[in-house]
Amino acid sequence: MNYPFWDEPIGYGMLMGLIAVLHVFISHFAIGGGLFLVVTEQQARRANDQPMLGFLMKLSRFFALTTLVLGALTGVAIWFIIGLLNPVATEALIHNYVWGWAIEWTFFVVEITAALLYYYGWQRLTATAHLAIGWIYFAAAWLSLVIINGIITFMLTPGQWLANGEFWTGFFNPTYWPSLVMRTGVCVMLAGLYALLVAARYEAGQFKKRLVLQVTTWGLLGLAITAVGEMWYWRAIPSAITTKALQIMPIPMEALHTSVWLAAAIGALLVAARAMARRMPVFVAGIAMLTGLAWFGAFEMFREALRKPYVITGYIYGNGVEVALTDRYKKEGYAAQINYKTGDESADLFLHSCRSCHTIDGYHALRTAFDGTDRKFIAEIVSNAHLLKGNMPPFLGTTAEADKIAGYIYARVDQRPLAEICRAEGVDLGPKAYAVRCANCHIPGTASDKSKSFAGQSADDLNTLLDNAASLGEGMPDYTGPPAERAALVAYMQGLGKQVKK
Amino acid sequence: MNLPNYEFLSAPLWLVTALHLLTLTLHFAAMNFLFGGLIIVLHAGLRKRWDDPTLVKFVRLFPAAMAATVTLGVAPLLFLQMTFPKPVYSAAIVSGWFWLGVIGAVIITYYALYWCSLRSERTGRISRSALLLAVAGLVYVSVVYSSVFAMAERPGLIHELYAKNQSGLVFNPATGDYALRWLHMVLGAVTVGGFFVGMLGRNETVTFQTGKAYFVGGMALASVAGIAYLMTLQPILAQLMQTPASWVLLVAILLSLGSLHFFFKKIFCMSGTMLFVSMLGMVYVRHIVRLLRLGDQFRPDSFRIAPQWGPFALFLACFVIALVVVAYMLWLFFGAKRAERGDIMQSVSQETGPR
Repeated sequence: MNYPFWDEPIGYGMLMGLIAVLHVFISHFAIGGGLFLVVTEQQARRANDQPMLGFLMKLSRFFALTTLVLGALTGVAIWFIIGLLNPVATEALIHNYVWGWAIEWTFFVVEITAALLYYYGWQRLTATAHLAIGWIYFAAAWLSLVIINGIITFMLTPGQWLANGEFWTGFFNPTYWPSLVMRTGVCVMLAGLYALLVAARYEAGQFKKRLVLQVTTWGLLGLAITAVGEMWYWRAIPSAITTKALQIMPIPMEALHTSVWLAAAIGALLVAARAMARRMPVFVAGIAMLTGLAWFGAFEMFREALRKPYVITGYIYGNGVEVALTDRYKKEGYAAQINYKTGDESADLFLHSCRSCHTIDGYHALRTAFDGTDRKFIAEIVSNAHLLKGNMPPFLGTTAEADKIAGYIYARVDQRPLAEICRAEGVDLGPKAYAVRCANCHIPGTASDKSKSFAGQSADDLNTLLDNAASLGEGMPDYTGPPAERAALVAYMQGLGKQVKK
Repeated sequence: MNLPNYEFLSAPLWLVTALHLLTLTLHFAAMNFLFGGLIIVLHAGLRKRWDDPTLVKFVRLFPAAMAATVTLGVAPLLFLQMTFPKPVYSAAIVSGWFWLGVIGAVIITYYALYWCSLRSERTGRISRSALLLAVAGLVYVSVVYSSVFAMAERPGLIHELYAKNQSGLVFNPATGDYALRWLHMVLGAVTVGGFFVGMLGRNETVTFQTGKAYFVGGMALASVAGIAYLMTLQPILAQLMQTPASWVLLVAILLSLGSLHFFFKKIFCMSGTMLFVSMLGMVYVRHIVRLLRLGDQFRPDSFRIAPQWGPFALFLACFVIALVVVAYMLWLFFGAKRAERGDIMQSVSQETGPR
């Protein structure tokens, strides 16, 4: 909390996602594409395959314009954005891994130089020299992945680093190798997808057929390596993380499932492209490319969301709160730690505790969660944030601070009764009341589902349960809604109980 | 909880500072070539020389210069964030959108330069609009950098500005802190651009004279702006003059003048070396100014030192290898036997075709 807070309207996750997904999509192609270019050039030169060399020249221009500009600059953009969104974590990473990044930078220098010389060298260099530069390019590009992979995986699975703080312990962490294999596969797959897009623009004919068959082979091979790598990656993640994800974290799990379906779709598209290789239309390649982008987006969302509630597992929470300072926060509260103040303590507390993941009515909106509730309920939810679905960071401030945050949120949500907001009553109001008051923790069909305990309970029993909710010791808030909403909620709970009975 | 503390430097401060200043000077050299070169080409173009072959040749170098500028800019940013994280991030957050806008501006500039380069290759003429767009992009980047880094030297101002507005749409209003420094930097870029134009056009009288005019004129104007900037440092000027930075500044000025001398004699290697060392000196002085302005509000020497010598040694080894490999590739490109121009495929079949 040593830093100011950037109160932008888009949402941190969205901003980070937009930049990061675009970057990884291009940067992985920058590696795989380099390998594809040099391997195919070598084969083409051996076979004196002039059309193929012509294709590679075209591809290398597309390659240079995409990777040198967008690839490199979205990489710099990640530097910029992480410093704005989570300066504490960025500072921690830089202090621990500055030499990792410095090593990566040396590869980057070689990579950029080689890419330029390769692109400009088609008509200037001898075949041997051109190929040598191509291989240097690929080696440097892949080595930069070897380095950055250590830092990315460290953030999810720092392993024993948390105990010893050693550079290499954190670098070669439990998910380092599977992630490296998987990302190498992604590089090869994307090389195939990008090259397919360039190949698709050729006129129908025998050469196009040969080209499409060749590039889709790369795509399918890469996809196979990716699939194996992703499975290994999942298994390498400590069970404490995966178990929790399966129980209470719908976002990463949905993203993982989506990524599996999208990978299947990529495979199907590549097979389809092979089937129509001779006259494959551009839109098929375009769809394959977009599916590849969507796959990467889904996978990155899975990886990022799985880290919750941390940004560096076990070390720094997503909202920049340092785990090591837990005792200090508990003792002195948050406000005492906030260095840059707006003059409104409630706003400061909200910004530093909640705002990095939630906006009021945009990204991960709080309005939808708290419309029609009350300040006391919100304060209870804030205090017990770590018990909610989604694996949120714990609130380490004081009760008074939780109340201030609740006041800040309550002033910005719809304060009318839920029945009025939803224009519902009786049976229709029940599910909505349950969604707001209960489903933040108790998701039907998951481990946290309490429907079984409602079975056979009378309305009076359930009313008593609601009255004594706070004393059940599970961080539940007292029920504070109006009587009509309570009656609807109780009726809905009874309905849930009956469904279980059946 | 007994977790590792991240508030440390993984090498002695002097070493990190040396790397920071060296890589920043390298970044400036590339940036000055690009920015200064662009301004000179634009100025020459406005005098109806859009199809001057030397300028066209110069324009074709801009995408590579841009790549070098960006690549060489990564390392100093890394070391800066390592040694001055709190002031730098805080200032960047307060100007968040402008700071992030730098990336957009650089992407636009980069593509404009490629467009300009490819078009000049095809038509032999320079695209005025693309060039203007590129210059506008670089002006934006330079102004934002100057404003954010100037703000980072005044934590009190950051607090004040943040209290009023947290949206990231705050532009440093203390223009007096950085306007002259920015001007000095731009004129310095023109100076270095002039040097490169003169060097690349050394065999053509008009081009050499153009480069010379910008080199001399730019240096004269940059000196005036630099002295004026020094005057704005009044509260810390006396302190600055009592540090070794004052001697470094004097040597840097003398080296700049020396570089002019060798430039006139067309001894570009010596002239360029003196210019580079002079820039390094100026960068050092700028570093001392930052330390003096921050005073006790933020001191990089307050970080605990916990060297990571193993990773550092690996970095050093990789750095040396990278230099060797880059030199080898440049040798291949510029120095070694070339393929027959215009018929690459023929040379391909002669060299590696099936026997």
